[in-house]
Amino acid sequence: MPPISINDTGDRVFVVAELGQYLVNGISQGCLYCLLASGLTLMLGILGVPNFAHGSLYMLGAYIAFYVVMLLNVSYLMSILLAAVILAVLGLVIYRFLFYPMRDAPHANLFVAAIALLMILEGAALLWFGGETKWLILPYSNDIITFGGMSLGVQRLIIILATLMVMLGLELFIKKTAVGAALEATAQNREGAMLCGIKVTQIAAMAFAIGTALAGVAGALIAPAVMILPSMGLGPLLVAFSAVIVGGLGSIPGAVLGAFILALVESLTSGYISATYSLVFVFVAMILMLLIRPRGLFGKEL
Amino acid sequence: MKTIEKLSSSPWMAWLVLLLIALIVPMAMGGYLITIITIVCIYAIVCIGLNLLFGYTGLLSVGHSAFLGIGAYAFGLIAIKFGLGFWPSFCASIIISGIAGFLIGIPALRLRGHYFVLVTLAFAVIINIVIMAWIELTGGAGGLAGAPRPDPIPLPWGDVIRFHSPLSMYYFILFFLVIIFAVSYRLINSLVGKTFIAIRDDENLTQSLGINTMSNKLVSFTISAIIAGIAGALFASYNTVISPDSAGFMKGMEVVAYIIIGGAGTLAGPLVGPLVMIAIPEMLQIVPEIRGLLFGIILVLFIIFLPRGVAGEVSLLISRIKSQSKHT
Repeated sequence: MPPISINDTGDRVFVVAELGQYLVNGISQGCLYCLLASGLTLMLGILGVPNFAHGSLYMLGAYIAFYVVMLLNVSYLMSILLAAVILAVLGLVIYRFLFYPMRDAPHANLFVAAIALLMILEGAALLWFGGETKWLILPYSNDIITFGGMSLGVQRLIIILATLMVMLGLELFIKKTAVGAALEATAQNREGAMLCGIKVTQIAAMAFAIGTALAGVAGALIAPAVMILPSMGLGPLLVAFSAVIVGGLGSIPGAVLGAFILALVESLTSGYISATYSLVFVFVAMILMLLIRPRGLFGKEL
Repeated sequence: MKTIEKLSSSPWMAWLVLLLIALIVPMAMGGYLITIITIVCIYAIVCIGLNLLFGYTGLLSVGHSAFLGIGAYAFGLIAIKFGLGFWPSFCASIIISGIAGFLIGIPALRLRGHYFVLVTLAFAVIINIVIMAWIELTGGAGGLAGAPRPDPIPLPWGDVIRFHSPLSMYYFILFFLVIIFAVSYRLINSLVGKTFIAIRDDENLTQSLGINTMSNKLVSFTISAIIAGIAGALFASYNTVISPDSAGFMKGMEVVAYIIIGGAGTLAGPLVGPLVMIAIPEMLQIVPEIRGLLFGIILVLFIIFLPRGVAGEVSLLISRIKSQSKHT
């Protein structure tokens, strides 16, 4: 966490600044969860696939950004786009060879298939990229913007702005294009969509590819701000999954709201109570939410 | 063909032969092989418990590593911090994992499908974080050393069974495996077991027949937690050192993989799965780096092409052979 600059004006300002700092941290982290959770919820709503491997796809996005920038000398912006494209193609391959053959399988089998995919992707990353930590260093990596006693890394600001753009693009795509409308229709009612002549298999493949591309973008965005490791995806995966549950399976607005709620729970509890236990508080919040409202904020009827 | 037919017509004989092999063959094995089959037995115990929940009741829990951890740490902590002997600590650890299963089951089982699975995972991660972070109690990442081996058992004619050698620990753990297997066999063939299967096949229909599915699911969940806790305590006693890795949540997913590969909802599945997935990679000296990758690939192939698992596909094959020989 970046250091908090203390004002001489007294404790009061410091307390406000501290709270503000945690809120800012929560928002920038929430953006990442938002990208992951909206992909996850799309896959759940349209394919019924609980994609446990989403964190591993995010990890691959980070490695792609690392290798493209550090070895090929391509600009960072290009590396984000490349990560999205490569992950979208990988998503299509995964869909074709794993989840398409399993389209009528019971949900427990889909869970196991996703776990297997996680093991394969993480195992492959360990084998090819190695277990040692990698750092993606950009010219502005250590720059920090300070305002009103709060500070924000430049990369964190980039994450927030990029997430805004990506989510806006996704929203426009779903609301304004015919394909997007078909996507939403399939998520709401699969049989109904089929009756309307929507090719559900193609829509499902596209939903999967969009989801993996979003995970790739999230990974490429976080790459300059964290340690790059084969196991880096697990924590974000767990929070993003919880966000999907809090928001209600299959609902993108729900996933976005859930992502920010849980990111704030995480940053506030790690700031005021304990950083080691912050994930526990996130899960407790998720479980409490489920007990009060079992289908989440915007979920379909079970 | 005749032998297959005979064996399949009298399953008791097959199980007896298997037990005899499990009793006799290890005597001729070296220490390394005994270590492997002991680990296989411990995981087979966990799998029997999880198979009751997943294979027969239809509830997938990917968080049973939590109960392994609770059993192991409860056993180790009671024995070390309170200085109690093996048996009191062992019994206490069983009770504690049962209570934990009951308390987690109440909220978790209100949820269905994906929601239930994710809550079990969240629970496993919470337990893992607590074990890692509560260093004063659990020793954190360094683990906890000094879990006791079983007390020597005096025999009526004056001899004493001691549990210092790997072989004696193997027999001790095999004893529990056989008992738990027999109990789960009885349970599956009882009315309670039939109710579990009914819930797996159609929960709403079962409920409409006036059966309290919630309390039956809770029974299934608690029993599987207790069995996982027993396995955890046995593992702690066998290893004498309890490490947080044994309760890591990837372990919970691996156990599910063992059951799928062995055959969910079959009697032999929980035995076959760990045997195939632990013993074979060890014997082939697979390097740990590619173990996860290999594991995932095998799991994918099974889930797509052989979703019934080894035991399920073999019994399907036998019944086909039988029906063919009847027709001819």
